[in-house]
Amino acid sequence: MQKATLPVKNKFGFFEVRLESIGGLGANVAGKILAEAGVMGMGYNGSNFASYGSEKKGTPVSSYVRFCDSDKAVRINSPVTDPHVLGVFHENLVSRLPITAGVGPNATVVINTDKDPHNAREYLRLSGGRVITVDAIKIAYEEKVRMNAIMIGAITRAMDFMDKEAVKEAIRQTLGKKYENQLKANLRGFEAGYEQVSIDSFDEDGRFPFIPFKEAKGEWGYANAPIGGIVVEAGSMILKNNQSSRQGKIPLFHPGKCIHCGLCETTCPDYCFSFEPGMDEKTNKTQMYNKGLDYQYCKGCLRCVDVCPVEALTEELEAEHDIEKLTVKL
Amino acid sequence: MREQQIVFKNGNEMAALAATHMDFHVMGYFPITPSTGIPEELSAYKADGLHEIVLIPADGEHGAAGICYGAATAGGRVVNATSANGLLYALEQLPVQSGTRVPMILNVVARTVSGPLDIKGDHSDIMFTLNTGWLIFMAKDPQRVYDFNIIATKAAENAEVMLPAIVTSDGFFTSHQKRRNYIFENKSHVKEFIGEYNPKYTTIDPENPVTFGPYMNEPDLINNKVQLSHAMDKAYEVIPKVMEEYGRLTGRYYNVLETYRMEDAEACLFLLNSSFDTATEAVDILRQKGKKVGIVSSNVIRPWPYKEIQKVFKNVKALCVADRQESYGAQAGNMSIEIRATLKDDPENKTLVFSRIYGLGGKEFYVDDAILLLEEAIAVADNNKIGKAFDYIGAYEGNKHYEPKKYVNNVISDYFENGLTVEKDDKQQLIVKGVQTRELTTVPKRIAPGHQACPGCGIFPNLNLFTKGLKGYVVFLFHTGCGMVVTTGYPYTAFRSTYIHNLFQNGAATLSGVVEMFHERKRRGEIPKEVDITFVMVSGDGGMDIGMGPAIGTALRNHNMIIFEYDNGGYMNTGYQLSYTTPHLAESKTSIVGPEFPGKSTFQKHGGRSTFHKDTPMIMAGTNIPYIATVAESHPVDYVKKAAKAQYVAKNEGLAYVKAISACPLNWKSPPEEQRSVINTAVESCYFPLFEIYNGITTITYDPERAKKKMPISKYFSRMGVTKHLLEEENREDLDRIQNEVDRRWERLKARNENPLL
Repeated sequence: MQKATLPVKNKFGFFEVRLESIGGLGANVAGKILAEAGVMGMGYNGSNFASYGSEKKGTPVSSYVRFCDSDKAVRINSPVTDPHVLGVFHENLVSRLPITAGVGPNATVVINTDKDPHNAREYLRLSGGRVITVDAIKIAYEEKVRMNAIMIGAITRAMDFMDKEAVKEAIRQTLGKKYENQLKANLRGFEAGYEQVSIDSFDEDGRFPFIPFKEAKGEWGYANAPIGGIVVEAGSMILKNNQSSRQGKIPLFHPGKCIHCGLCETTCPDYCFSFEPGMDEKTNKTQMYNKGLDYQYCKGCLRCVDVCPVEALTEELEAEHDIEKLTVKL
Repeated sequence: MREQQIVFKNGNEMAALAATHMDFHVMGYFPITPSTGIPEELSAYKADGLHEIVLIPADGEHGAAGICYGAATAGGRVVNATSANGLLYALEQLPVQSGTRVPMILNVVARTVSGPLDIKGDHSDIMFTLNTGWLIFMAKDPQRVYDFNIIATKAAENAEVMLPAIVTSDGFFTSHQKRRNYIFENKSHVKEFIGEYNPKYTTIDPENPVTFGPYMNEPDLINNKVQLSHAMDKAYEVIPKVMEEYGRLTGRYYNVLETYRMEDAEACLFLLNSSFDTATEAVDILRQKGKKVGIVSSNVIRPWPYKEIQKVFKNVKALCVADRQESYGAQAGNMSIEIRATLKDDPENKTLVFSRIYGLGGKEFYVDDAILLLEEAIAVADNNKIGKAFDYIGAYEGNKHYEPKKYVNNVISDYFENGLTVEKDDKQQLIVKGVQTRELTTVPKRIAPGHQACPGCGIFPNLNLFTKGLKGYVVFLFHTGCGMVVTTGYPYTAFRSTYIHNLFQNGAATLSGVVEMFHERKRRGEIPKEVDITFVMVSGDGGMDIGMGPAIGTALRNHNMIIFEYDNGGYMNTGYQLSYTTPHLAESKTSIVGPEFPGKSTFQKHGGRSTFHKDTPMIMAGTNIPYIATVAESHPVDYVKKAAKAQYVAKNEGLAYVKAISACPLNWKSPPEEQRSVINTAVESCYFPLFEIYNGITTITYDPERAKKKMPISKYFSRMGVTKHLLEEENREDLDRIQNEVDRRWERLKARNENPLL
């Protein structure tokens, strides 16, 4: 009943996949579809789960898929630490998390990027292995589909033993019922992702070290943390960087057009705007002036563009602007 | 054998499938992570016409347990699902149900008990149920979740048992892990196996009037408990028989204990549920090295399998009992305590038992962890001596050299000046001056940027506008919800002010305690007179459903504080389930628009009734607190004025309640950038009218009719994916009914506005 043998297995008999993403990009569903295809479509035994926080967009998500031979029981419930295939849904994740941990020279990394495999390898600082790049954002824009269908296509390509038809069937089962009108587009996206990849392999040439998987540890532990889980560093959330929540669009501030009404500041959920006092030459009174926004916190919701009465804020493509230069630090 | 089919499903889905196949009569539930998936799946299956279970969204877990108890006394089959503090909130109902001998099934998807709040899995919740008189099954994988739901139902309903049963699976590890599983191909075979349920006594039998729950003191109560104790003994006999019978039907045979390579094991490990599987891999690795190791778990912990436990450890030299919770102060988890007591009762037993605590709050359990524990057991067996009888594994000391940093300067004194004045006019109405959005940009933010909310979230513009209206130092108390989860992910906090979290059920009461202590310590001279604090409770995500009781209590006591509600129309932090403020007939994950229920929610259409969206300001008006107001971000000046008035009232007169309508672009299925204008349509359509009630006098603060902007409710509903279906022609009647209700409330408000006595 099992359609093909697994090309490689770890010491527990599994072929393992780890998908790294942020909430809202569909990595969780992608993991489900790949696992469903392997188990229901191809007869492997397997499992699929994800680790994530509460139900919201924009925060890190990891999804795991395990396959083993049909007659073997799945007996591991912990996350995939040394994947055979790593899928990276958003390249900005690299700055936020050690996502390439446990990825060795025999692994394949599939990454959503406009870089070629060589530059992607440099960017990811991989010790070696096979790199598959796919410009999923561009394809999604061209084909008018969600990005995860494209990523599923590219990841299927990385798993040479996967039956394409089984994956398509799993897409039909998972997405077809609820989003019937989008099904065709998703299947088109899958094919595009499968075809429009660049593939290259890299020897373990010593350029970058292998990073073994390690469980995360914080600065605070039982010997030094204030009792009761009390947080004493008021306002420390300001250290966070929320840029990976953006999906290609930014609000652009045009100071010359601004009438400093403050409406953008009242609608911005992420408190990005800086207003500073200055002298109003007409009235000789101190007034507040909009200085711009801090993109470290901007999630690209574009609420400010919508409320601005004078088009001093416009919707732009992030790729066409130098965010560092535009940022006004809070 | 009955035909089985393969499915690829997680634990929650398997629990929902079991309920579907048994076709329970009623489910009363309240969503809580990670068990939420069960009512969600059941709602989806119901929308597909797969079962007829009446799904009742309760006002909280305590209410859900009450619904279930009542339904079960009425003689049908009942199921519920909960986790963590939800289980504890329901806890007092559990002995009521077992003591009056009313079977049902409760799926406990085990999760850490707060606080601090942690949504991941461990066994600290389920261990609270050991003394409740319920049968407790432990399902280590999704397959067992399905099988044990069916087995537990049959065992619980046995005429000599008649006890409710819990089926426990591990939160996330099992509830959210998809596995290959087998289910009955034909649902009638499941019903045939469990048979008809005909309890001897029900609460709805006019021919046999009975009294459920008399007033029973000594000398009688002890006899009732002996009966309960005997019922447990009976269950101990019945469960293996039911398991055997189930095995014959399915090929899936279970024992009370779950064991792995125990035949000749000398050093072994006992642990519950999902960790068992992972540990078996460790056993294989150590066995290859010639070590005689094995693993034991239990599929049932109430009734306690003492005979099987004594037998399985008879020749074991060393045993590590690893618990995913501690009975604090006992230097062990509950399984360790019980196993040691059980082995003590066997005079021949010489097993050396030691205790370890692992995996709290969802901390992962790897094969290496199991190897470590087994190697410790091997060392104890080899030395015939226990080194450390009790310890935690996986905790860490922290960086001793880490110095806490300061991200906020001194914020007391006039740091939070907003330049506003609040005065009373000659009609004793409050007048606020100085509100301009441009000038208000000077007010420093009490919440730092960097929080983790979704793009376009409405909570933060609401908090920004509300707190702009407040001068001076603010102590916040947040109910559980999106606003809380995204601002305080440890070790970070977005708050530059004092912040307290308490669970949904009890925030208003908690803050009222803070307020009274503040004033009493001030009166006693322990706090200087000039220290001035405004106390604000923030609630949303359905917090005014489950927390309504304490909120009303707090209102009736009229404490000097503010209750601020951001109403996003659903339980958004658990992924959008129906709340009482969800628009009538809107879609949510527990009110699904499906083929069987075109254009209707699964609850509202069938088997239950529902009112229109909850009119919380009017409920609060019934408590006669001095100030009530509604605010919307589309009207920022009106918003800030009301916040300033609320602060004036909280300082001088008592409780102020302010309610905002708060956008949730993710779950409303609405573009993030449009949210302010979506909120505007809620105001202009009078779905969410802007008004205030100050000492009984109602004032409409923005009148869409007078502004000639009034629009039909369809304008608001057309902006959200979850209400769009109501605009279709076939749902015209429903839309008209909602429009009529909105109009009725608006006309009533106008009448109140015109007449000071209303």
